Amino acid sequence: MEFYSAFGNRPVRLSDATRKFAYDSLHCRYGRETAENPMVSLDHLDGFSELTDLQKYDLAIREICTHAPIRICEGEMLSGSATLGEAIRHRVPASFGGGSVFYAVSHLTTDFETVVKRGVDGIRSEVLASLEHHKGTDREPFLQSCLSCLESFAIWHSRYLEALREAGYEENYAILSKVPFGAPETFREALQSIWFVFAFQRLCGNWPGIGRIDWFLGDFLERDLAAGRLTLEEARELLAHFFIKGCEWICGGNYGSGDAQHYQNLVIGGRDGEGKDVTNRVTYLVLDVIEELGIGDFPTTLRLHKDTPQKLLRRMAEVIRYGGGVLAVYNEELIYQSLLAYGYPKEEVWKFANDGCWEVQIPGKTNFGYDPFDGLQILQHKTLRPGADFATFEELYQAYLTHLETSVSGIVERHTWEMLGKDEQGNWRWGDWEPCTVISLFEEGCIASGRPYFEGGAIYNVRSPHLGGFADTVNSLYAIRKLVYEEKKCTLSKLLAILSKNWEGEEVLRRYVQSRYTYFGNDDDGCDSIAVSLAKDFAAICRKQEGRCGYRIPPGISTFGRQLEWAPRRMATPYGRKAGEVLAGNCSPTPGTDKEGATAVIRSYCKLDLTEMTTGAALDLKLLPSAVKGEDGIAAIIALMQGFVTLGGFFLQLDVADASILRKAQEHPEDYATLSVRVSGWNARFVTLDRGWQDMIINQTEGRT
Amino acid sequence: MKVAEIQRFCMHDGPGVRTVIFFKGCPLHCAWCHNPETQSPYPQLLFEAQKCLACRACGECPQGVHGFAQAHTLHREFCSACGRCAALCPTGALSLCGKDMTPTELLELILRDASFYQNGGGVTLSGGEPFLQGEEALELLKLCREKGISTAVETCGYVSPALLEKAVPFVDLFLWDVKDIDDPRHLAYTCVSNKPIMENLRRVDSLGGKTRLRCILVNGVNTEEAHYTAIAELFHSLQNCEGAELLPYHPYGDSKTKAAGMTSTSHPEWIPSEETILQGKNALLSQGVPIHG
Repeated sequence: MEFYSAFGNRPVRLSDATRKFAYDSLHCRYGRETAENPMVSLDHLDGFSELTDLQKYDLAIREICTHAPIRICEGEMLSGSATLGEAIRHRVPASFGGGSVFYAVSHLTTDFETVVKRGVDGIRSEVLASLEHHKGTDREPFLQSCLSCLESFAIWHSRYLEALREAGYEENYAILSKVPFGAPETFREALQSIWFVFAFQRLCGNWPGIGRIDWFLGDFLERDLAAGRLTLEEARELLAHFFIKGCEWICGGNYGSGDAQHYQNLVIGGRDGEGKDVTNRVTYLVLDVIEELGIGDFPTTLRLHKDTPQKLLRRMAEVIRYGGGVLAVYNEELIYQSLLAYGYPKEEVWKFANDGCWEVQIPGKTNFGYDPFDGLQILQHKTLRPGADFATFEELYQAYLTHLETSVSGIVERHTWEMLGKDEQGNWRWGDWEPCTVISLFEEGCIASGRPYFEGGAIYNVRSPHLGGFADTVNSLYAIRKLVYEEKKCTLSKLLAILSKNWEGEEVLRRYVQSRYTYFGNDDDGCDSIAVSLAKDFAAICRKQEGRCGYRIPPGISTFGRQLEWAPRRMATPYGRKAGEVLAGNCSPTPGTDKEGATAVIRSYCKLDLTEMTTGAALDLKLLPSAVKGEDGIAAIIALMQGFVTLGGFFLQLDVADASILRKAQEHPEDYATLSVRVSGWNARFVTLDRGWQDMIINQTEGRT
Repeated sequence: MKVAEIQRFCMHDGPGVRTVIFFKGCPLHCAWCHNPETQSPYPQLLFEAQKCLACRACGECPQGVHGFAQAHTLHREFCSACGRCAALCPTGALSLCGKDMTPTELLELILRDASFYQNGGGVTLSGGEPFLQGEEALELLKLCREKGISTAVETCGYVSPALLEKAVPFVDLFLWDVKDIDDPRHLAYTCVSNKPIMENLRRVDSLGGKTRLRCILVNGVNTEEAHYTAIAELFHSLQNCEGAELLPYHPYGDSKTKAAGMTSTSHPEWIPSEETILQGKNALLSQGVPIHG
């Protein structure tokens, strides 16, 4: 039983049984079973079509909880499984007339803090109190739906209890009898409680993140250890089961972004409300499990700050070295500043986690969405249309900003305003949206206000415009400035003609712009200063959109994997790339243009005022296994993380990968089933990505310095 | 100072993350030289034929260095390394190796990565032979020290004893090249005797200079058991040496040899096998020499 590593053998600490469980789960044993049972059917329900959406939703959840297959994996220490396949496709897994009835919810981290502190019964009491308060108002149907979904949850829970008793899992039975409805008292109870609520949300099609797991669990573990109820080894086994259960949707699907995990992100380390670092033994156990099993399905991000223990930094470096891109780093201090500057209250900012990728949000309180768009296509198709003529570079840049603003404004109008709430008179109101009560139950604000998650119930409502093609746009602008306006080697109209012919017959000039100019990512102020301006101006454009509707409009920079889908609509670029090439990811340099090494890339990226990118701007760095060998390699990884924080980075994704290994995996996927790669924000198994994605990752891996 | 190249984010030239400055000019001419373009102290025109589009932008050369009868060929005997063609070359096929920089300019570049030196990293002066830069090398080391930047110098040791003595207080670690302990062989393969090198090493050691022996492994030339014993004896005779590092010969320098128009020195038979490297490592370890890297 080998778990893929880019760098030597992973250590063995877990029991053989647990390792076997992990191996099976990673090799699709449970995922395939799940995929075979896509949905429960609602066709037998008389009069279903005449019901309101909310009633339909409640019935769907009821049928799911009553009929979803119960799964108990051999020897499992935690119970509860999301066993319906359509949930893997992000839908409520209940069908009527052939299709799934509702979409589900993702891009949020739900409120596990309340689950651990008060139990689901605590949530139920809150629903009853709110119902009392809102009796006879238009809020009542939603609150009744809350009660209904809690009842359904209890049905699913009791089915598990019965199955566990029958199967003789006495300890699991005893623990599940208490949680998640009651509040947990031990480490295992707390872990089971989080897992069961998480599995319930996923059972109903949703893809929540989990958030600050070590902060939730640290005290439980300390108390158990002190009382002699549990050993550290036992706690590690339990946590490993939590990770392994999280692989239950791995089914080897091969499409687009492949068999990627489903946004079940974890956050570790960082400070609490009093400014004290929360690192505890659970933090290290999380790293132990990732180190041994290489499970990429819980992408885990450390909140790094100046007082992060050296020991933790070292453990991070040691685990990062094995490759797979499971671990990443937030610069906590910068994100505090960013959230405060944006207007989040001081008593909230320290709680931040993410939406399941890396976009920052206040967990359990935020209705989050983001709108990605391609800044490069705006430049190419709007600003640089045939016949475009600008006397100065500044004029050209201002024209681009105007087009950027029109696009952002249009996105806000179409995606936020029109789609989510504009009334017939054109005024903003919270509109009716598809029901999502299972999520509303675990989002603060919804129950108290009697409003669903998508209809203004959450405390914070965020739609973040995400600028894509950032480095490509910056590099294009820089090449034009140099070539047309400074060196005057070529007029703009001639350059546009050359680009429209995809550089055909102009190889000398193409090579000139490629090799003689220094682009974003090389710590050269010439091009980097355009990057600084563009980020700042984009942030200002987003600020102008604030107040138009009930959503906040904070900016971010990302592509995730969209550079692949955008490629066919992109023309040749002024910095020498041909039409249709797959270009830069997230806020990283365009592959092949960064020639000065990782530290220069970080320096260029950190020149941007990233406090203005409120939901985030991710930097992906890939290192060769040979570059991180020995003590020197550990020191290098630590140095990169420390420098990233000192210089004011936001989110750093460090991966260790070798393009030649990725090529082998492409040819012999059967030998590389557990090779995970971080695909810009989430994590996927390499062999289940389709060819285009694989080539893009190989290209990015080779493009590094 | 004559700079051949600057590389940032180097992990294997001293502790931590380092910025490495490669200087031009070396008193040795090792048969296995890994950085042949740094041997000459003067600027040199490099030509990477695979990047050339034969666009003839370089054709204006007043010395007539560039010919295009068949392929683009260089008449290097006329080249004054003025750099004009390199400035005109659109593809980067032509470049000039050897740039004059002041210690202050270099310091500015070194400081750019200061945020990444927190974990033991810093600057490494390499080459070429850094001490051939004379007093300016000292000045650069002092400037780095003032800024709290850790300093390492990779030296062949064949340098002025007076300069070395002055440098000791400003160097945190000498990466001391050990080509061969056997003097006749040293002379044969590097063109100089190792006697002054050994005297300098002891001088630095007696002044408290911290050293690490960087031993090149050239298969069949210096990979015999007796040579490892000699290295171990050298190590044990020093007070402030932290151990040895093995640098297996590789032929990658040859691409640069070609680019610089020099005669190829590639010797595939010199590449030590993994087994030979391990033997060397174990031989040293068993004789009490700590191995780094």
